[in-house]
Amino acid sequence: VPCVSGDLPKPTNVTFISINMKNILQWNSPEGLQGVEVSYTVQYFIYGQKKWLNKSECRNISRTYCDLSAETSDYEHQYYAKVKAMWGTNCSKWAETGRFYPFLETQIGPPEVALTTDEKSISIVLTAPKKWKKNPEESSISMQQIYSNLKYNVSIYNTKSNRTWSQCVTNHTLVFNWLEPDTLYCVRVESFVPGPPRLAHPSERQCVSTLEDQTIALEVK
Amino acid sequence: QEFQFGPCRVEGVVLQKLWQAFWAMKDIVQAQDNITSVRLLRKEVLHNVSETESCHLIHALLRFYVNTVFKLYHDKAAEFGVLKSFSALANNFFVIVSKLQASQEKMFSTHESARRRFLLFYRAFKQLDRESAVTKAFGEMDILLSWMEKFYQL
Amino acid sequence: DGVAVLPAPQNLSVQSTNMKHVLTWSPVIVPEEIIHYSVEYQGEYESLYMSHIWIPSSWCSPTQRPECDITEDITATVSYSLRVRATLGSLTSAWSTLKHRFNQNSTILTPPGMEITMDGFHLLIKLEDLGPHFEFFVSYWRREPGAKEHVKVVRPGVLPVYLETVEPGAAYCVKARTFVKAIGRHSAFSQTECVKVQGEALPL
Repeated sequence: VPCVSGDLPKPTNVTFISINMKNILQWNSPEGLQGVEVSYTVQYFIYGQKKWLNKSECRNISRTYCDLSAETSDYEHQYYAKVKAMWGTNCSKWAETGRFYPFLETQIGPPEVALTTDEKSISIVLTAPKKWKKNPEESSISMQQIYSNLKYNVSIYNTKSNRTWSQCVTNHTLVFNWLEPDTLYCVRVESFVPGPPRLAHPSERQCVSTLEDQTIALEVK
Repeated sequence: QEFQFGPCRVEGVVLQKLWQAFWAMKDIVQAQDNITSVRLLRKEVLHNVSETESCHLIHALLRFYVNTVFKLYHDKAAEFGVLKSFSALANNFFVIVSKLQASQEKMFSTHESARRRFLLFYRAFKQLDRESAVTKAFGEMDILLSWMEKFYQL
Repeated sequence: DGVAVLPAPQNLSVQSTNMKHVLTWSPVIVPEEIIHYSVEYQGEYESLYMSHIWIPSSWCSPTQRPECDITEDITATVSYSLRVRATLGSLTSAWSTLKHRFNQNSTILTPPGMEITMDGFHLLIKLEDLGPHFEFFVSYWRREPGAKEHVKVVRPGVLPVYLETVEPGAAYCVKARTFVKAIGRHSAFSQTECVKVQGEALPL
């Protein structure tokens, strides 16, 4: 049933939240309609093409977000999205995003961090974050394949000396040796891609202790 | 830190500065482009460009931006209060064009395919009225910078 | 434009160190009055393609002090023209233009400040953050005859940066210099700093 457009205020703060190319459109409910049972409809547009396209799973929905990852998966394209509010036979005008460029705007999630230790060393193995994929069965695409200049900023905190230091690496394995035995070290890693400013997503802090010194004294060899 | 467009090498430009300049005005500039059904820097213009082609293509594109787009967009930049970003991009593009000029003179390879790619861009530009075309070209600098980043050696 | 009864500022000059550029001039003195100044700039692009266009400086249009930090206005390695004028109420002086155009490639580069620390057997360096233009070439070696000198390119951050894992009882020396990408120039090396690593030297 066509609604009377413009009688309702528009949704506000319509924007894409994107991490590793998982692109979620989200918005705030229209001013003054909090608590009212409003529904929403979303459309999206590929810059350079001709028409607005429907997202069937986001037609007449009550939530204030819509996953457009599949529709915006070609990250070298640019997109717009818009949403309107509906209540009974009234509806708002469309509220539109700016031009969204996934390749430049997606936030790069942290890598997976695996730590192993022995007496005096910690080995760190990093696995690059994965690009969003539609089905779990699909083969994964690493963000490294998309951003060949992906780097990691590794920071390590010595809980005994209360010192923290960092190292910027491009490869996926590094070893800190000659550490202090029987000491808790905490590691945090952040992915980084040169280019436009992006929000940072450091990994959770992971702590691991080096083993006790097995030898009583340093043997003279 | 330099650009390496095939045989053409360009030093003295910090790409991060260009990103900062464009990002500071991206939303304002792109919001003025209402002809969303047209993209000037389409995939056919910038995809799968060979190394030797890249020097000719970037030289043609940046020369057009310096000589036409920036010149015609200046008043709008003043109107939208983005002159600082405008100047940063214009002067750095000017540096790149000047340095590419020197490289170009030493290059003898044909660049017919680069010219065809540029003409795709130029014809699309010419099909729009001048103000809309300049606004669109200015707003598509993120596409251009993304492509240039592929040739930037850290 | 206002009538140029007010004298124009004189003796314009730019002091530039480590890519921080400050334009200074002699103050215009009118007893018991506060003079304001406006600074504008033109890059090579503007001079060549739109010479009538001047861009107001980010921080000094207007300002009361006879100086202006133009660092954020100089955004390319091209020559810039700079001008200043004085204002007192509705009175405005003529523009005074810097005699020689300024290019950031003339900046003075000083050796960087650095702090060498250890965490256990890890040699760490904390470098003075001079801004996004700067990279640091850090040379370090073990203090013994014939020792090999290692060089690492370091980009400063909030935290000290890991340089090397060192051996107990040995001594290591470090020096650093800056490199500015935009102008392709190095500073001189800093003083060399040496540290002795705790513990007994390993037998050969």
